[in-house]
Amino acid sequence: MDSQMNELYGNNGPKQVHFSPYAFNGGTVLAVAGEDFAVVASDTRLSEGFSIHSRDTPKTYKLSDKTVLGSCGFHGDVLTLTKVIGARLKMFEHSHNKKMSTSSIAAMLSTMLYYKRFFPYYVYNIIGGIDDEGKGCVYSFDPVGSYEREAYRAGGSASSMLQPLLDNQIGFKNQEGATVVPLSKEKAVALVKDVFISAAERDIYTGDAIIVQVVTKDGVKTEQFPLRKD
Amino acid sequence: MASTVAVELPHGGFSFDNCKRNALLEDKGFKAPKAYKTGTTIAGIIFKDGVVLGADTRATEDTVVADKNCEKIHYISSNIYCCGAGTAADTEMTTQMIASKLELHRLETSRKPRVCTANRLLKQMLYRYHGYISAALVLGGVDSTGPHLYSVWPHGSTDKLPYVTMGSGSLAAMAVFEDRFKPEMEREEAMKLVQDAIRAGIFNDLGSGSNVDLCIITKDKTDYLRTYQEANLKGVRQGTYRYKRGTSAVLKTEVKKIVLEVIDTQVKPQAMDTD
Amino acid sequence: MATSMISKNREQAFMSNLTPDWLKTELTTGTTIAAVEFDGGVVIGADSRTTSGAYIANRVTDKLTKITDKIYCCRSGSAADTQAVADVVKYQLNFYQMEMGEEPLVQTAAHTFKELCYDHRDNISAGIIVAGWDKKEGGQVFAVPLGGMVIRQPFAIGGSGSTYLYGYVDSQFKKNMTKEECLPFVANALSLAMNRDGSSGGIIRLAAITKDGVERVNLTGNQLPKFYEDH
Repeated sequence: MDSQMNELYGNNGPKQVHFSPYAFNGGTVLAVAGEDFAVVASDTRLSEGFSIHSRDTPKTYKLSDKTVLGSCGFHGDVLTLTKVIGARLKMFEHSHNKKMSTSSIAAMLSTMLYYKRFFPYYVYNIIGGIDDEGKGCVYSFDPVGSYEREAYRAGGSASSMLQPLLDNQIGFKNQEGATVVPLSKEKAVALVKDVFISAAERDIYTGDAIIVQVVTKDGVKTEQFPLRKD
Repeated sequence: MASTVAVELPHGGFSFDNCKRNALLEDKGFKAPKAYKTGTTIAGIIFKDGVVLGADTRATEDTVVADKNCEKIHYISSNIYCCGAGTAADTEMTTQMIASKLELHRLETSRKPRVCTANRLLKQMLYRYHGYISAALVLGGVDSTGPHLYSVWPHGSTDKLPYVTMGSGSLAAMAVFEDRFKPEMEREEAMKLVQDAIRAGIFNDLGSGSNVDLCIITKDKTDYLRTYQEANLKGVRQGTYRYKRGTSAVLKTEVKKIVLEVIDTQVKPQAMDTD
Repeated sequence: MATSMISKNREQAFMSNLTPDWLKTELTTGTTIAAVEFDGGVVIGADSRTTSGAYIANRVTDKLTKITDKIYCCRSGSAADTQAVADVVKYQLNFYQMEMGEEPLVQTAAHTFKELCYDHRDNISAGIIVAGWDKKEGGQVFAVPLGGMVIRQPFAIGGSGSTYLYGYVDSQFKKNMTKEECLPFVANALSLAMNRDGSSGGIIRLAAITKDGVERVNLTGNQLPKFYEDH
């Protein structure tokens, strides 16, 4: 009946049905580098459109004792990408008999992303870890492999809300005569929790809980913290 | 167009003056501003003595929460209320318009308005606009003939049912109703059911969130329970984010003298005129 | 600088499906409706499903809509259009009845429906069956299908479910059936269509209209006629 009516009257006009290879599954990731540590955090909500797929899917991936990857966007691509990264890290370890350094992982990820320049992984990546000199470091990426080392970076659905706050609180941007003090581990973790609490208030794709991973020379410590669930 | 000689009185209804211009601008790639689409959960049921209406309080603009505590249960008359989903402006103006028409009708007839009248006014207005007024409504109230509940769709069709839900969270809320609704419920039980239906929307639908508002209408009393339940508590922040005085940069300072004309007036006490 | 090259535009494309489809999709009574004449009246019937896309917006809809005391219509197509048209016809016939001091003919009702449906045929999707009893012609069934024509028929079926029914009704219809034969004829047809057509379902609503008025029957759950699944 419907199709007959539409045919008769053409009231809906021509319809093009198409398949999209991508979806957007929300989620926010964040990394902060300190003097001798790095904090990588993400929320744990996985969603699509107006519905929640999972309330307990962390988007941080431990790549080694010195490196953690935060990865969000299209979850299908996140799964593939992290799987391939894992395989590449193992291959490296077997052929060189050592772990890959954080800076090397970042360089490798960039080439992996650019390799798919014309059918990209729809993924926002941020790496946090300890570099070769034992200093905290953060590398941020766009989906096609452009990357740079930074002190802090937010990515994903609420990145536009988190980044200005980090600029202000960690980068001391727009503050007149502020005393620049080096960021302590405790302050960094507290700030990360606070910015996620704020993001959960206004971004519908951020919520349920956050995972905070603190990377030091002694390894990775994980902490979970509840967020609002609506 | 209005000339300066004979000023045209503005008449009612919408102005379509800029439609063609805007279509042209959009053709050239200009992005039209977006209206608040309240991805919403609204619901209502009939119980033994009347109706219970419920709504969440989140208003969204795309993926951003625009209002964390907005009102979605609108006043129609003292014995009729209406929950709105869709474009916030449309639901607000549509219900205001019908409320005003019903009030004039009440003044003219000296009778309490009936729910079927509100329903008929709403559906005829929405039908006239072919669905372009994005208002999906849950209309409920009690009149001389008893409690009534309607769902009103943007294209102007209506359904009269004992329990209804609307909005992006309507499936979650309806699931709760289909499970637990029964006719002739007690007031407390009915309130709990609507509260749980709205909560299902708040937690499972990303377009809905924050608090539960309820409105209970019975034969001789209407209780509008704003923030009946705070379904979500705001997270407690650990740091303090107060800035030292002088943190904001002062870019330019200029002092100007304001010339004042000082007038001295005295007011004396006067006896009240009681004649 | 790590500038996102896909970011906003593509993200916007993903988001565009955020406009909830219940705002855009019109409610349709993707329906099965049927009516049969018998000596002294008519039997009409309908399923009870109203859908918005894949969602059942109302599972107990009454698509048998009263126009006058002895004239009803069965609605199929857009819920908004058919409700609006039925409301207008109801108003006009009520007005006619007050002016003339007598009940309007079924033919008059059918032609009033036709007039609206034909005049607005480009903007309206309504498939309507008008049925009832009047003292001039007795029980009558008129079909007013999509384009807005009108035709009297001994029986009529309509709605999306009716495509499954032509074979059944053509084989089972007999001339000069009684009311008691017509009721199961309609109920069986509706039940068969509701089993095959996804946009028909719920309960069966039946009504028999005679000179004495309207007799309404609802068949719910296990009262729906069953067929081969019994064996």
